[in-house]
Amino acid sequence: MKRIVLWLLSTVSAVVLMFGYHTSTSGPAATAQAPVGASLSTTSTTTSSGSGAGGGSGGTDGGTTTTGKTAQTRWGPVQVQITTDASGQITDVEVVDYPSGNGEDQRINSYALPKLVQETLDVQSADIDMVSGATVTSEGYLQSLQSALDAVSA
Amino acid sequence: MTTAVRPARYVEQVMGMPVSLALRGRHTDDAEARGAWAEAIAALRDVDRVFSTHRQDSFVSRLGRGELTLDDCPPEVAEVLALGELARLQSHGAFDVRRGGVLDPSGVVKGWAVERAARPLRALPETDVCLSAGGDMVCHVGGPASPDWRIGIEDPHDPTRVLAVVPVRTGAVATSGLAHRGGHVVDARTGAVPDGPDVAASVTVVHDDLVWADLDATAAFALGRDAARWLRTRARRTGLVVWADGSTEVVG
Repeated sequence: MKRIVLWLLSTVSAVVLMFGYHTSTSGPAATAQAPVGASLSTTSTTTSSGSGAGGGSGGTDGGTTTTGKTAQTRWGPVQVQITTDASGQITDVEVVDYPSGNGEDQRINSYALPKLVQETLDVQSADIDMVSGATVTSEGYLQSLQSALDAVSA
Repeated sequence: MTTAVRPARYVEQVMGMPVSLALRGRHTDDAEARGAWAEAIAALRDVDRVFSTHRQDSFVSRLGRGELTLDDCPPEVAEVLALGELARLQSHGAFDVRRGGVLDPSGVVKGWAVERAARPLRALPETDVCLSAGGDMVCHVGGPASPDWRIGIEDPHDPTRVLAVVPVRTGAVATSGLAHRGGHVVDARTGAVPDGPDVAASVTVVHDDLVWADLDATAAFALGRDAARWLRTRARRTGLVVWADGSTEVVG
């Protein structure tokens, strides 16, 4: 059980850490986060090296689900739930409570659904700022749409 | 709001891939803008020195060979491995930084590094920022009057085409697929590249931060035919799955 609690703490820390990225961009409060990350990782790597693909497809046969305390972040409350099997091995981690509703959150969530385009588009007519695609290596870049974009305004 | 103002653009090769920056607004071509860009590039080069699996002398390479322990490494290594472990659990093992006994956290590092590198750029007042590393990007607008960033999603079957467009104000977009680098992403449970007529050819994820947009795009792609189903279970993600047969599915 002690291990589970440790894990829970570390998982919450990790989530807070992730939300912390946003904090750090717009405020001075961020430097304390690196040690948090450092302390949690020791646990997780120990577990990972011994566990293989444990847990399969999230099957919770005889598993235990534990819900952590809510952590307050700048964006609102964050709460994490973990599932362990009979041997105490973590089989799943879910974030059950994300921040929602406040103005800051609206701001960070302001993106939309991808909208399919009907016809072949070249970069200029599509009025596109950047291209998202599978990892572009330096060689592939020369033929890519992104390289055309970068050249347009150069 | 018009998008007639063309962004200023910067490109640099880092970590074996092109890193592209677009800036609009108050600081696009002045000392502040160039300083923040230099800081971003320096941050990426630092990450490469610690995490590169192509450099025999990086901390991660030495950790993987057992020459170092985690305690010998900078704290960022532990942070990245912890993120990888969360992703492994949440993807039911399809994503794993250890495959076939080899430690390769590259799937975590890119999004994480770009998210960090974007900090000095996002600190530019009244400036819109879009920072992309090899097709995965962080977007930010400097104020309510700024236009959206318009992100094109590449066709994995024809990289000269754009299949979809997603408007983003502040958030991240990541795509995983095989379009430019064959065999790069494998299902860690089998060690094989997803194959067959019903697997994903590419997965694009839009989310608040690039760490998880990138992790989820990779994990969903590794899950093959379960890509869209799994992505729907993820909170606050939207995205696009392009299937091997060329059909598309919007998630969100």
